[in-house]
Amino acid sequence: MESHPTYKGVQAICQKYPKLAGSFFQVYNDILLSQGWKDVKVIDVEQVGRAVIYGKRKADEPELVVVPCALSESISIEWFNSIFKNLSPEPSEIYVAITSEDSSNVYYKISKGIVKPPV
Amino acid sequence: MGFTPFACEVHHPQHVPRLTGTQPLYPMSKKIPLHISNDRAYIWDAEDARNIRENHHITGALVGTLPSVAQQNVFLGLPLLLMPEEAVYLVEKGVAVMLDDAHAHHLPTSEEVDQWREDVRTDRENRLQAQAAARKAKEQKTEKNLSEAALRKRREREEKKTAKLLAAASADRDGNELLTPGDNDPQTPPATRSGARDETGHTIIIPATASDHPWFQPQIYETVQEAKEAGIWSCPSTPLERAKCAVFKDLIQKGYFLGGGMKFGGDWLVYPGDQLRYHSHFVATVLATPLSKMNPMEIVAHGRLGTGTKKAHLICGWDEEQQHVDYYSIEWANFG
Repeated sequence: MESHPTYKGVQAICQKYPKLAGSFFQVYNDILLSQGWKDVKVIDVEQVGRAVIYGKRKADEPELVVVPCALSESISIEWFNSIFKNLSPEPSEIYVAITSEDSSNVYYKISKGIVKPPV
Repeated sequence: MGFTPFACEVHHPQHVPRLTGTQPLYPMSKKIPLHISNDRAYIWDAEDARNIRENHHITGALVGTLPSVAQQNVFLGLPLLLMPEEAVYLVEKGVAVMLDDAHAHHLPTSEEVDQWREDVRTDRENRLQAQAAARKAKEQKTEKNLSEAALRKRREREEKKTAKLLAAASADRDGNELLTPGDNDPQTPPATRSGARDETGHTIIIPATASDHPWFQPQIYETVQEAKEAGIWSCPSTPLERAKCAVFKDLIQKGYFLGGGMKFGGDWLVYPGDQLRYHSHFVATVLATPLSKMNPMEIVAHGRLGTGTKKAHLICGWDEEQQHVDYYSIEWANFG
């Protein structure tokens, strides 16, 4: 992992949250290189104990926030509450990137409140 | 909508003659009786089922067989089975009470049985008379339109039929003894008797609810707590059940209709309006507390299934301290 060309950019975050480093780096590379998002930023959210990734799918699209999460983690309503509360500006939706050890990433949109699916 | 879910052959209790001289069944609070049996709440009256659907957004599930089409289970009839959350909601709202159905069916006294037989007989006679009158009116109407010859032929046919039935009726007499002990009177002119049988069948009315009989005496509980203390009802008794009742109430009050969610892997299906008119937008799952654990795999499973069926998954977290529900809607992100 450390010898990967993009590692330098997120080394600090990976060292700060070592247990989540694998999952985080996997999502970071996926967003940056594979999905090819623009204006990719990494923001450290200490209150939640992890870093999140901001970016745009295309240059003219709105900015989205991605929260990496390993399949082995435990989450709860409080986990969601805390993430939404501690991001600024508070988003109406986040994208949870669930990673697995076989390098698969799946992205799910979590909206706060009762939000109808698109028709 | 052409389809009425409550149309069935079982007649509304109002058609059964009111028995006089007996005490009123329920205290005159006009609350909807929920018949509790084996820790489940049933509604047996069609008007009550309609009332809770139209006025309180509670649909329940019909679980009875339709007498006229018994060999299928696509269309079911009364009773209406309520989810525990639905029953709790209605009782807490003050529109329903719980009856201990299992212990409410007492043996009738012999006077009550005699009175019942008498009422069945009177009802049948009234019914036959009304049918005879209707038939006569119809005949008079058609006679006006028939020619002389046609009328004569018709009368001859009828007389032949009557004679045949008369012969059959005398052999048949024993069959009806239980219901109408007074009917085998040989003085009754045979023509009228068989005439009544000839044109019109004999309808037996089966009341939809036991509550029309004076020997149905249930113990009534006005609150969930009382029903629980009496041992006939258990929900809610765990934190998860309490959470489900609270979230259910919150969603109903927001104007949604809720149905069972088993077909989509959740607790409920959430509809923006009556199930007969809308598809659901959400599958809901309840978490008992804000700290109750979920794993990411559930998000994947819920989200994927929902998206494949044009729904979102709704995670509902009940916060007992704040008395508040947190909602999160899950959808597949459509990229990655």
